[in-house]
Amino acid sequence: MNVRDLVLAAISGGGYPMLFGVTAISAIGVPLPMTFVLIGAGSLIAQGEMNLWWVLILTSIGAVLGDQIGYGLARWGGRRLAYKLGRKYRIGEASLKKAEAVSRKWGGTGVFFSRWLITPLGPWLNITYGITEYPWRRFLVWSGLGEVLWVVLYVMLGKLFSDRVQALSETMGNLSWVILGLLASGVLGWTLWTYLHEKDPGGRRASHGSG
Amino acid sequence: MIIKRHWLLGLAFVLTVAITGVSAMRTAQKAEYWRSHRDEPIHGWMTVGYIAHSYHVPPYVLYQALALPLQPPDKRPVSKIARAQKRSVDEVIGVLTNAIIHARPPNPPPPPEEGRAP
Repeated sequence: MNVRDLVLAAISGGGYPMLFGVTAISAIGVPLPMTFVLIGAGSLIAQGEMNLWWVLILTSIGAVLGDQIGYGLARWGGRRLAYKLGRKYRIGEASLKKAEAVSRKWGGTGVFFSRWLITPLGPWLNITYGITEYPWRRFLVWSGLGEVLWVVLYVMLGKLFSDRVQALSETMGNLSWVILGLLASGVLGWTLWTYLHEKDPGGRRASHGSG
Repeated sequence: MIIKRHWLLGLAFVLTVAITGVSAMRTAQKAEYWRSHRDEPIHGWMTVGYIAHSYHVPPYVLYQALALPLQPPDKRPVSKIARAQKRSVDEVIGVLTNAIIHARPPNPPPPPEEGRAP
Protein backbone atom coordinates (compact mmCIF):
# COMPACT_ATOMS: atom_id res chain seq x y z
CA MET A 1 0.00 0.00 0.00
CA ASN A 2 1.48 3.36 -0.96
CA VAL A 3 1.23 6.74 0.81
CA ARG A 4 -1.76 7.80 -1.28
CA ASP A 5 -3.74 4.67 -0.35
CA LEU A 6 -2.84 5.14 3.31
CA VAL A 7 -3.91 8.80 3.31
CA LEU A 8 -7.16 7.96 1.54
CA ALA A 9 -7.88 5.09 3.95
CA ALA A 10 -7.15 7.43 6.89
CA ILE A 11 -9.53 10.10 5.56
CA SER A 12 -12.23 7.53 4.70
CA GLY A 13 -12.01 6.14 8.21
CA GLY A 14 -11.33 9.32 10.16
CA GLY A 15 -13.50 11.80 8.25
CA TYR A 16 -13.19 15.52 8.96
CA PRO A 17 -10.77 15.31 11.93
CA MET A 18 -8.40 13.20 9.84
CA LEU A 19 -8.69 15.60 6.88
CA PHE A 20 -7.83 18.47 9.24
CA GLY A 21 -4.88 16.56 10.74
CA VAL A 22 -3.46 15.47 7.39
CA THR A 23 -3.61 19.05 6.06
CA ALA A 24 -1.89 20.47 9.16
CA ILE A 25 0.87 17.80 9.15
CA SER A 26 1.50 18.41 5.46
CA ALA A 27 1.78 22.18 6.00
CA ILE A 28 4.42 21.58 8.68
CA GLY A 29 6.52 19.87 6.03
CA VAL A 30 5.69 16.15 5.97
CA PRO A 31 5.49 15.21 2.27
CA LEU A 32 1.90 14.03 1.80
CA PRO A 33 -0.06 14.01 -1.50
CA MET A 34 -2.12 17.11 -0.67
CA THR A 35 -3.13 17.89 -4.25
CA PHE A 36 -4.74 14.47 -4.37
CA VAL A 37 -6.31 14.89 -0.91
CA LEU A 38 -7.95 18.25 -1.70
CA ILE A 39 -9.14 17.20 -5.15
CA GLY A 40 -10.38 13.91 -3.62
CA ALA A 41 -12.24 15.86 -0.93
CA GLY A 42 -13.84 17.95 -3.68
CA SER A 43 -14.98 14.74 -5.38
CA LEU A 44 -16.40 13.41 -2.09
CA ILE A 45 -18.38 16.66 -1.78
CA ALA A 46 -19.80 16.14 -5.29
CA GLN A 47 -20.74 12.57 -4.32
CA GLY A 48 -22.59 13.89 -1.28
CA GLU A 49 -20.26 12.24 1.21
CA MET A 50 -18.74 15.42 2.63
CA ASN A 51 -19.96 18.95 3.25
CA LEU A 52 -18.39 21.76 1.22
CA TRP A 53 -18.19 24.31 4.05
CA TRP A 54 -16.78 21.88 6.60
CA VAL A 55 -14.10 20.80 4.14
CA LEU A 56 -13.17 24.39 3.21
CA ILE A 57 -13.10 25.64 6.82
CA LEU A 58 -11.27 22.66 8.35
CA THR A 59 -8.63 22.31 5.66
CA SER A 60 -7.97 26.08 5.64
CA ILE A 61 -7.55 26.16 9.43
CA GLY A 62 -5.42 23.00 9.31
CA ALA A 63 -3.12 24.44 6.64
CA VAL A 64 -2.71 27.81 8.40
CA LEU A 65 -2.09 26.07 11.73
CA GLY A 66 0.53 23.80 10.15
CA ASP A 67 2.26 26.84 8.63
CA GLN A 68 2.41 28.56 12.03
CA ILE A 69 3.82 25.43 13.68
CA GLY A 70 6.54 25.18 11.00
CA TYR A 71 7.31 28.88 11.36
CA GLY A 72 7.26 28.71 15.17
CA LEU A 73 9.53 25.67 15.39
CA ALA A 74 12.03 27.34 13.08
CA ARG A 75 11.84 30.70 14.87
CA TRP A 76 12.13 29.46 18.44
CA GLY A 77 14.21 26.36 17.92
CA GLY A 78 15.70 26.40 14.46
CA ARG A 79 17.22 29.88 14.67
CA ARG A 80 19.29 29.05 17.74
CA LEU A 81 20.32 25.74 16.20
CA ALA A 82 21.20 27.33 12.85
CA TYR A 83 23.42 29.99 14.47
CA LYS A 84 25.04 27.39 16.75
CA LEU A 85 25.89 25.21 13.74
CA GLY A 86 26.99 28.32 11.86
CA ARG A 87 29.48 29.23 14.59
CA LYS A 88 30.72 25.68 14.82
CA TYR A 89 31.34 25.19 11.11
CA ARG A 90 31.90 28.86 10.22
CA ILE A 91 29.66 28.64 7.21
CA GLY A 92 26.14 29.33 8.41
CA GLU A 93 26.34 33.01 9.38
CA ALA A 94 26.69 34.40 5.86
CA SER A 95 24.00 32.06 4.53
CA LEU A 96 21.64 33.11 7.31
CA LYS A 97 22.23 36.79 6.55
CA LYS A 98 21.53 36.04 2.89
CA ALA A 99 18.35 34.14 3.80
CA GLU A 100 17.28 37.08 5.96
CA ALA A 101 17.80 39.43 3.02
CA VAL A 102 15.77 37.12 0.75
CA SER A 103 12.86 36.86 3.20
CA ARG A 104 12.84 40.67 3.69
CA LYS A 105 12.96 41.20 -0.08
CA TRP A 106 10.20 38.76 -1.02
CA GLY A 107 8.19 39.28 2.18
CA GLY A 108 4.51 38.49 2.03
CA THR A 109 4.51 37.93 -1.75
CA GLY A 110 6.76 34.90 -1.32
CA VAL A 111 4.56 33.44 1.42
CA PHE A 112 1.36 34.08 -0.56
CA PHE A 113 2.47 32.51 -3.84
CA SER A 114 4.18 29.54 -2.19
CA ARG A 115 0.85 28.57 -0.57
CA TRP A 116 -1.11 27.94 -3.76
CA LEU A 117 1.00 28.42 -6.90
CA ILE A 118 4.46 27.02 -6.08
CA THR A 119 3.32 24.70 -3.31
CA PRO A 120 6.51 22.57 -3.06
CA LEU A 121 8.27 25.66 -1.66
CA GLY A 122 5.73 26.26 1.13
CA PRO A 123 7.24 24.32 4.06
CA TRP A 124 10.75 25.53 3.18
CA LEU A 125 9.66 29.14 3.25
CA ASN A 126 7.98 28.60 6.65
CA ILE A 127 11.34 27.49 8.01
CA THR A 128 13.29 30.28 6.29
CA TYR A 129 10.88 32.97 7.46
CA GLY A 130 10.89 31.53 10.99
CA ILE A 131 14.67 31.37 11.23
CA THR A 132 15.03 34.91 9.88
CA GLU A 133 12.34 36.22 12.29
CA TYR A 134 10.02 37.60 9.65
CA PRO A 135 7.21 39.46 11.53
CA TRP A 136 4.74 36.79 12.65
CA ARG A 137 1.52 38.78 12.17
CA ARG A 138 2.43 39.59 8.58
CA PHE A 139 3.35 35.93 8.00
CA LEU A 140 -0.01 34.86 9.47
CA VAL A 141 -2.01 37.20 7.22
CA TRP A 142 -0.19 36.21 4.01
CA SER A 143 -0.16 32.50 4.77
CA GLY A 144 -3.88 32.70 5.66
CA LEU A 145 -4.75 34.40 2.37
CA GLY A 146 -2.64 31.99 0.34
CA GLU A 147 -3.90 28.84 2.08
CA VAL A 148 -7.56 29.80 1.72
CA LEU A 149 -7.03 30.43 -1.98
CA TRP A 150 -5.20 27.07 -2.32
CA VAL A 151 -7.93 25.14 -0.53
CA VAL A 152 -10.80 26.80 -2.42
CA LEU A 153 -9.05 26.37 -5.78
CA TYR A 154 -8.21 22.68 -5.41
CA VAL A 155 -11.39 21.60 -3.62
CA MET A 156 -13.58 23.37 -6.18
CA LEU A 157 -11.58 21.84 -9.04
CA GLY A 158 -12.12 18.43 -7.43
CA LYS A 159 -15.83 19.16 -7.06
CA LEU A 160 -16.11 20.33 -10.65
CA PHE A 161 -14.19 17.37 -12.14
CA SER A 162 -15.31 14.92 -9.47
CA ASP A 163 -15.18 11.89 -11.78
CA ARG A 164 -11.53 12.40 -12.76
CA VAL A 165 -9.63 12.71 -9.49
CA GLN A 166 -6.61 10.69 -10.60
CA ALA A 167 -6.06 12.55 -13.87
CA LEU A 168 -6.66 15.98 -12.34
CA SER A 169 -4.37 15.31 -9.34
CA GLU A 170 -1.54 14.16 -11.59
CA THR A 171 -1.94 17.14 -13.93
CA MET A 172 -2.08 19.68 -11.10
CA GLY A 173 0.78 18.01 -9.22
CA ASN A 174 2.97 18.10 -12.33
CA LEU A 175 1.93 21.66 -13.09
CA SER A 176 3.14 23.03 -9.76
CA TRP A 177 6.54 21.36 -10.34
CA VAL A 178 6.67 22.88 -13.84
CA ILE A 179 5.98 26.34 -12.38
CA LEU A 180 8.70 25.79 -9.76
CA GLY A 181 11.07 24.62 -12.53
CA LEU A 182 10.33 27.68 -14.64
CA LEU A 183 10.98 29.92 -11.66
CA ALA A 184 14.24 28.13 -10.84
CA SER A 185 15.32 28.28 -14.52
CA GLY A 186 14.59 32.01 -14.56
CA VAL A 187 16.60 32.67 -11.38
CA LEU A 188 19.52 30.49 -12.51
CA GLY A 189 19.47 31.95 -16.02
CA TRP A 190 19.46 35.48 -14.65
CA THR A 191 22.30 34.68 -12.21
CA LEU A 192 24.35 33.14 -15.02
CA TRP A 193 23.67 36.11 -17.30
CA THR A 194 24.68 38.73 -14.71
CA TYR A 195 27.68 36.62 -13.67
CA LEU A 196 28.97 36.37 -17.26
CA HIS A 197 28.41 40.08 -17.88
CA GLU A 198 30.11 41.13 -14.66
CA LYS A 199 33.00 38.73 -15.17
CA ASP A 200 34.06 40.18 -18.52
CA PRO A 201 34.84 43.83 -17.59
CA GLY A 202 36.35 42.70 -14.27
CA GLY A 203 38.62 40.27 -16.07
CA ARG A 204 39.78 42.99 -18.44
CA ARG A 205 40.44 45.37 -15.57
CA ALA A 206 42.43 42.68 -13.84
CA SER A 207 44.59 42.07 -16.93
CA HIS A 208 45.12 45.84 -17.45
CA GLY A 209 46.11 46.23 -13.84
CA SER A 210 48.67 43.47 -13.98
CA GLY A 211 50.07 44.64 -17.33
CA MET B 1 37.76 28.62 -9.11
CA ILE B 2 35.81 31.18 -11.18
CA ILE B 3 35.66 28.79 -14.14
CA LYS B 4 34.47 26.00 -11.83
CA ARG B 5 31.64 28.21 -10.50
CA HIS B 6 30.77 29.25 -14.03
CA TRP B 7 30.45 25.64 -15.16
CA LEU B 8 28.49 24.58 -12.09
CA LEU B 9 26.04 27.41 -12.63
CA GLY B 10 25.72 26.55 -16.32
CA LEU B 11 25.22 22.87 -15.54
CA ALA B 12 22.58 23.65 -12.92
CA PHE B 13 20.78 25.89 -15.41
CA VAL B 14 20.83 23.29 -18.20
CA LEU B 15 19.66 20.53 -15.84
CA THR B 16 16.84 22.68 -14.46
CA VAL B 17 15.67 23.64 -17.94
CA ALA B 18 15.82 19.98 -19.06
CA ILE B 19 13.87 18.69 -16.04
CA THR B 20 11.33 21.49 -16.40
CA GLY B 21 10.93 20.71 -20.12
CA VAL B 22 10.35 17.00 -19.45
CA SER B 23 7.85 17.81 -16.67
CA ALA B 24 6.05 20.26 -18.95
CA MET B 25 5.81 17.62 -21.69
CA ARG B 26 4.50 15.03 -19.24
CA THR B 27 1.93 17.51 -17.95
CA ALA B 28 0.81 18.29 -21.50
CA GLN B 29 0.55 14.55 -22.31
CA LYS B 30 -1.52 13.95 -19.16
CA ALA B 31 -3.78 16.86 -20.00
CA GLU B 32 -4.22 15.58 -23.57
CA TYR B 33 -4.98 12.05 -22.34
CA TRP B 34 -7.43 13.51 -19.86
CA ARG B 35 -9.14 15.55 -22.59
CA SER B 36 -9.57 12.63 -24.97
CA HIS B 37 -10.46 9.82 -22.51
CA ARG B 38 -13.69 10.01 -20.58
CA ASP B 39 -12.79 7.13 -18.27
CA GLU B 40 -9.74 7.04 -16.07
CA PRO B 41 -8.20 3.64 -15.30
CA ILE B 42 -9.27 1.99 -12.02
CA HIS B 43 -6.57 2.16 -9.33
CA GLY B 44 -6.14 0.52 -5.94
CA TRP B 45 -6.86 3.73 -3.99
CA MET B 46 -10.34 4.16 -5.48
CA THR B 47 -13.45 3.28 -3.51
CA VAL B 48 -16.34 1.44 -5.14
CA GLY B 49 -18.50 4.55 -4.69
CA TYR B 50 -15.95 6.70 -6.49
CA ILE B 51 -15.57 4.18 -9.36
CA ALA B 52 -19.35 4.15 -9.83
CA HIS B 53 -19.35 7.96 -9.78
CA SER B 54 -16.43 8.17 -12.19
CA TYR B 55 -17.87 5.64 -14.67
CA HIS B 56 -21.44 6.93 -14.31
CA VAL B 57 -22.93 3.57 -13.36
CA PRO B 58 -25.24 2.82 -10.41
CA PRO B 59 -23.12 1.87 -7.35
CA TYR B 60 -25.21 -1.23 -6.54
CA VAL B 61 -24.00 -2.86 -9.78
CA LEU B 62 -20.41 -2.76 -8.52
CA TYR B 63 -21.28 -3.75 -4.95
CA GLN B 64 -23.17 -6.74 -6.31
CA ALA B 65 -20.30 -7.71 -8.61
CA LEU B 66 -17.97 -7.85 -5.60
CA ALA B 67 -20.60 -9.54 -3.40
CA LEU B 68 -20.60 -6.60 -1.00
CA PRO B 69 -23.68 -5.44 0.92
CA LEU B 70 -25.44 -2.43 -0.57
CA GLN B 71 -25.96 -0.79 2.82
CA PRO B 72 -24.05 0.71 4.48
CA PRO B 73 -21.88 1.69 1.48
CA ASP B 74 -18.43 0.12 1.67
CA LYS B 75 -15.88 2.96 1.82
CA ARG B 76 -12.75 0.83 1.63
CA PRO B 77 -10.38 1.32 -1.32
CA VAL B 78 -10.17 -1.45 -3.91
CA SER B 79 -6.76 -2.55 -2.57
CA LYS B 80 -8.27 -3.22 0.88
CA ILE B 81 -11.30 -5.01 -0.54
CA ALA B 82 -8.97 -7.20 -2.62
CA ARG B 83 -6.95 -8.11 0.46
CA ALA B 84 -10.08 -8.88 2.47
CA GLN B 85 -11.40 -11.11 -0.33
CA LYS B 86 -7.99 -12.76 -0.79
CA ARG B 87 -7.82 -11.69 -4.44
CA SER B 88 -5.30 -9.64 -6.34
CA VAL B 89 -6.05 -5.97 -7.03
CA ASP B 90 -5.96 -6.71 -10.76
CA GLU B 91 -8.55 -9.45 -10.33
CA VAL B 92 -10.91 -7.10 -8.47
CA ILE B 93 -10.34 -4.41 -11.10
CA GLY B 94 -11.21 -7.01 -13.77
CA VAL B 95 -14.49 -7.88 -11.99
CA LEU B 96 -15.38 -4.20 -11.70
CA THR B 97 -14.50 -3.47 -15.33
CA ASN B 98 -16.67 -6.37 -16.47
CA ALA B 99 -19.57 -5.14 -14.34
CA ILE B 100 -19.17 -1.62 -15.74
CA ILE B 101 -19.21 -2.89 -19.33
CA HIS B 102 -22.44 -4.78 -18.67
CA ALA B 103 -24.03 -1.88 -16.81
CA ARG B 104 -23.53 0.60 -19.59
CA PRO B 105 -25.71 0.91 -22.67
CA PRO B 106 -26.62 -1.16 -24.61
CA ASN B 107 -26.79 -3.39 -21.52
CA PRO B 108 -28.54 -1.41 -18.79
CA PRO B 109 -28.98 -3.61 -15.71
CA PRO B 110 -32.35 -4.26 -14.08
CA PRO B 111 -33.04 -2.17 -10.95
CA PRO B 112 -32.06 -3.80 -7.62
CA GLU B 113 -34.71 -5.77 -5.79
CA GLU B 114 -35.85 -3.54 -2.97
CA GLY B 115 -34.37 -4.22 0.46
CA ARG B 116 -32.37 -7.21 -0.69
CA ALA B 117 -28.64 -7.46 -0.39
CA PRO B 118 -26.94 -9.97 -2.63
